[in-house]
Amino acid sequence: MCIITVLLILISLMDGRRANELRKIKCKPSVLSQADGSAYIEQGNTKCLAAVYGPRETRQKAQLIHNKANINVEISLAPFSMPQERKKRSKSDRRLLEIASAVKQTFEPIIMTNLFARSQIDIYLQILQFDGGTIQICINAATLALIDAGIPMQEYVCACSAGCHENHTLLDLNNAEEMADTPELTVALLPMSGKLTLLQMDSRLHVDKLEPVMNLAALGCKEIYQTLDETVREYVKDLFQKSSPY
Amino acid sequence: MLQSKSFLKRTKKGNAIKVVQEHYLRDDIWCSVECCKLCVQTGPVLSTSAMLTAQIPRPHYIVPDTNVFMNQIDIIEHPALHDVIIMQTVYEEIRHLSLPIYNRLRALINDQKKRFYVFSNEHHRETYIQRLKDESPNDRNDRAIRSAVKWYSTHLKKITNKENHIEVVLLTDDVGNRTKAQEEGLSAFSVREYVEGMTDTPELVDILGNSSNVEGDKKVPYEEHLTSSQITNGIKNGTLHQGTLNISMHNYLEAYTQIMILGRPCLNRAIQGDVVAVQLLPKSEWLRTPTAVVVEEDLKEDGEPKEQNDELENEVIESSQPTGKIVGIIKRNWRPYCGFISKKSVKSSATSTFSENVLVVPMDRRIPYIYIRTRQAQNLMGQRILVSIDAWPKNSTYPQGHYVRALGAAGDKSTETEVLLLEHDVPFQEFASQVLNGLPVEGEAWRVTEEHLSGRADLRHLNICSIDPPGCTDIDDALHVRPLPNGNYEVGVHIADVTHFVKPFTALDEEAANRGTTVYLVNKRIDMLPELLGSNLCSLRCNVDRLAFSCIWELTSDAEIVNVNFTKSVISSKASLTYEEAQILIDDTRKQDDLTKGIRILNQLAKKLHKKRIDRGAITLASPEVRFQLDFDSQDPVDVEMKELRETNALVEEFMLLANISVAEKIYSKFPASSLLRRHPPPTSTKLEELSNAIKPFNFSIEFETSRALAESLDRAVLPDDPYFNKLLRILTTRCMMQAVYFCSGTLQFQDFRHYGLAAGIYTHFTSPIRRYSDVIVHRLLHAAINPDKNYGQELVDINKMQKLSDVLNHRHRMAQLASRSSVELHTNIFFKGKIEHNEGYVTRVLKNGFIVLVPKYLFL
Amino acid sequence: MFVRTQRDNFESKVVTPGQVITADTQYMRGHGTYLNEEESSHISSVAGVVERVNKLITVRPLHTRYTGNIGDLVIGRITEVTNKRWKVDINSRQDAVLLLSAINLPGGVQRRKTEADELQMRKFFAEGDLLAAEFQGSFNDGSTSLHTRNLKYGKLRNGSLIVVPPALVQRCKTHFHTLSCGVDVTLGLNGYIWVSKHSSKNLDELDPEAIYSNDNEPVDRSTRETIARVCNCINALSRHFMCITDTIIAYAYEASLKYPVKDLLKLEAMEFVTTEVRHKLSVVRSIY
Repeated sequence: MCIITVLLILISLMDGRRANELRKIKCKPSVLSQADGSAYIEQGNTKCLAAVYGPRETRQKAQLIHNKANINVEISLAPFSMPQERKKRSKSDRRLLEIASAVKQTFEPIIMTNLFARSQIDIYLQILQFDGGTIQICINAATLALIDAGIPMQEYVCACSAGCHENHTLLDLNNAEEMADTPELTVALLPMSGKLTLLQMDSRLHVDKLEPVMNLAALGCKEIYQTLDETVREYVKDLFQKSSPY
Repeated sequence: MLQSKSFLKRTKKGNAIKVVQEHYLRDDIWCSVECCKLCVQTGPVLSTSAMLTAQIPRPHYIVPDTNVFMNQIDIIEHPALHDVIIMQTVYEEIRHLSLPIYNRLRALINDQKKRFYVFSNEHHRETYIQRLKDESPNDRNDRAIRSAVKWYSTHLKKITNKENHIEVVLLTDDVGNRTKAQEEGLSAFSVREYVEGMTDTPELVDILGNSSNVEGDKKVPYEEHLTSSQITNGIKNGTLHQGTLNISMHNYLEAYTQIMILGRPCLNRAIQGDVVAVQLLPKSEWLRTPTAVVVEEDLKEDGEPKEQNDELENEVIESSQPTGKIVGIIKRNWRPYCGFISKKSVKSSATSTFSENVLVVPMDRRIPYIYIRTRQAQNLMGQRILVSIDAWPKNSTYPQGHYVRALGAAGDKSTETEVLLLEHDVPFQEFASQVLNGLPVEGEAWRVTEEHLSGRADLRHLNICSIDPPGCTDIDDALHVRPLPNGNYEVGVHIADVTHFVKPFTALDEEAANRGTTVYLVNKRIDMLPELLGSNLCSLRCNVDRLAFSCIWELTSDAEIVNVNFTKSVISSKASLTYEEAQILIDDTRKQDDLTKGIRILNQLAKKLHKKRIDRGAITLASPEVRFQLDFDSQDPVDVEMKELRETNALVEEFMLLANISVAEKIYSKFPASSLLRRHPPPTSTKLEELSNAIKPFNFSIEFETSRALAESLDRAVLPDDPYFNKLLRILTTRCMMQAVYFCSGTLQFQDFRHYGLAAGIYTHFTSPIRRYSDVIVHRLLHAAINPDKNYGQELVDINKMQKLSDVLNHRHRMAQLASRSSVELHTNIFFKGKIEHNEGYVTRVLKNGFIVLVPKYLFL
Repeated sequence: MFVRTQRDNFESKVVTPGQVITADTQYMRGHGTYLNEEESSHISSVAGVVERVNKLITVRPLHTRYTGNIGDLVIGRITEVTNKRWKVDINSRQDAVLLLSAINLPGGVQRRKTEADELQMRKFFAEGDLLAAEFQGSFNDGSTSLHTRNLKYGKLRNGSLIVVPPALVQRCKTHFHTLSCGVDVTLGLNGYIWVSKHSSKNLDELDPEAIYSNDNEPVDRSTRETIARVCNCINALSRHFMCITDTIIAYAYEASLKYPVKDLLKLEAMEFVTTEVRHKLSVVRSIY
């Protein structure tokens, strides 16, 4: 469909970013009053709303884990999220379930679930607008919402995708770039300790390219971390000021 | 800064969808001017010693608009033009409008001498503009270009002082755009104005496209073409038919898509290769011309073509074949054409320097004459020249074009060779330095070292030899055999390991993929790979260590395959034999060394393999080739001889076929969707039926349901008193066959993979990577298939890319064949120049005003 | 009382998950922190402000569920009636348990529970009922228990519930307040707040049967409006993340009188009310 042309000056003709530049990120924690924690995040034209409930009583006894909390992730795609087609997707869409399980696996070792035995943590993610990078935005939104919910976790989890097109490594692919047959690698890592919690790729990538692409994605993660952390700090400071009684 | 860009787009299904994209505007896009200190930049492209012309005596950069590239790319490519700024707006428009021009442009950008810089004006904060209400996209783009030019001129004022001031010049042929630019205080010129100002290079004026120069002769008023939406609708509801125009080699006014099209008005300005929309004529107007050779058009004294239409009208007979007329052209397929100036059309005197309109007669008979405007008509007479078509207005009998360059005197061998290469679209330039940089740095001194041995079998101890035609320098293949203790034989085919040197995504690889194949002409070889690789490092020469890709079978003495093994290896050939030498070794009973014994075993096995193949139904077809004995100095042909076929030819061929089949099976098992294979479709019935009818008087018939039936019926057709009859029949049958083609396995059903001629279920090309790019790909596939740890990129599993590649290879392959055939024809013509000889011949086709003869001795039609 | 020693540099600092609080190992690990693998430094696991009590470091996130402390007054809602116990949602990580034996049975404080009581547990509390209770304690498996063995506690009627972040409700001497405007406010430490019609009855006069009654008393229109106004005020305070105490509610109530009740749902009215409260607080602070 589209051909990504990266010129000598390394500006993608697709949207004018450099190959190692993230799309613009906007984020805001605590956007819903009903949820225990929530967040809204935009990465370029991909927009996601996250709501976290819990830790709370396990609703289905079958899911109860006696020594730690059960994490439950649901992802839905708003029917208007794809500009190309207006279509209602069921929650049991295979692709969405796959992403949900990826998100769940990413957070399971990071959230200190052992503190909340027999409880349940629900993470609801809704993609409001889709322009590539679903997994990464889901993880970033969930991180922010979990922090907002005050759920203890080892540290931030930041995710970022990177790809490789004709020998150029590209950061943070948008939908058009994904469609242009670009192998896309999504990395989620703990930015402080540098530990990796998710590495996902659906297509083939030459192993020589793996390292540069991964490094680029890791850089992207750290940049996302900076943005998220700044937002969280400002938010916490603000709350603290407001709530100090006198 | 962020801008959102949204636009509507039509999907393949025809639905309109809205696409929303981000559009980032930046501050860090540099101007790329050498002396600029304001922009943070790396590797500036534009030099301070920019263009200088008589008209604009100050140094300046040129900014052409889209149409300049579309119409005048020949001018842009001229070395006199350099330091050009290409606006991204223009660049993207070109990408959407024409891929060939886009590719030429990319080549220009990569050429460091030309100093072309692409400026991302659409992403620069100061040059980006939004489309205004009621503004057409074209107007918006023109404005965007002007705004960028304006930015450049102010920017250049900032970074240069009075003495070394540099200007920017907008080149556009659009009057409105030009006036607007001048109103805004920018310097803008039309291409003609600009080029005429370049007094140092007067020939540029001739190269100018003359799309504006319309002065038709109004003799054949063509019908107006339909608009593209009318065509799309017409095709959708079935009133129009889409097809690629194919003009008959014998009659330039007769053409086919699926429908026959006759006569100039019906052809309606379509040219060979165009994709056209055809409307079927009512049945009463279905016509047929007698098969006549209408080759040359006679020109009247005044240089105007004679009216032929009336004659044609009289000759046509009503027929049941559907006839149609062209109502629109969906895609032009114009390319530069070789031709010569028709003498009669030149009216000026020898000393005149005024420009005049002359007719160019293209070498390709299927292409109409082309009007060009030139000042050098007298000089160019008797020369072969290259011309481009610019337009074909409806009131002009012939298309309008422009002169590109002169190739040399007609009849001169090197000129004619260049002509035939150009006409067959064979890339024959020297290898670019970028490509040559991809070669091993050691050059000739490159040796196999210990590090190469890892992952390779060391087969240097084996008695490997190669058998090739005399004078062959690019030795692709070598063979060995050795008896095994269990009575079986180990047979190895060793193919030059080209992929060791040609890695994917390198300039070398791209060049090879573009060339597709080595082209063999009578006096010349156009290599696919640089000589260092083809004739030295890859070539399996004797007594040096070489890298190879080996295919090793265990065969029983009945030539049944027990098992097969593929491995990369290092070999050292013990002998490079010619077919003749090998034959002598086989026949010479006194020789009893291991090598000779080996060749004899191979010969025996090959015969058994051959028999098996024939039993399976493989056809022995004849396409004999001639060889010219060239005079050493002049390279003129002094004698013609048939290429002799020896047993040893068959020997090598059998093992190569076996290797190709084994490899095809292997790669298909690992890459069922993306293997590059070769298939040969069964012949269509019509052509063979004609032939079958033709030989009925001799009480023979041709059956062709299966290749086996065909082979048998060919075997039966022997006239005892004419030994050549069978051969002739085989030659003619060969001509009825379909072309074998490359394809990607994911695009067809398995049963369609068959190779009809070889009676093989699956087949590919593996054995000649030095001269065929398909084999290079197959090598990569095979290497990935045998080595699970091997890492390979997307390119090996992408069905679309593979299919595209195979289309290119098919085209190149076909063109290479045609080119070498033309080369033979050319040399035959030179050979017969001024010769009279009597010879027997066979009439193979009778036309209304001529007939075609096959002369066995020269294989000459 | 806890003794605060000299302030450390990390105190009152905003930390985010993964951030090192201190590399000093003399401190004890409290809520919201963890030790890294080498156990050489304390790392925050939530986003919040560092607090230190003696050697104990904790990080308190501002948005979080309620964690119970013994003796806390909480307001809860019955979610389930099971064998000899109720499950109560108290906005905590798990539903709390209210044992049949931990309630005041009608007919005398000292009455033993009988099998008949077990069979008619829904007569006391049914699913969806709201109650005020005291946090009794938590068990090893993380479950918690409540009791209502005081006539102060028990079923809630004649009012309306508002939910606010638990961090906003401060621990006070009493959580039962009667505002000057004539409504009762019960501030549950778990962030559930009950605003109800003022009941003038003395606790001792209370009919033991009536404490489990499901019938609301008649509430006149002006009281309803006052309740609604108080609710909206609390809501406004919680939206602006301000602490909620009886005085602050009273300030907010005063400030809100400028608007009709339903206008208090508008953002600008909320803004006005909270700024007024802030202003008043600063005035009060300057006096003391």
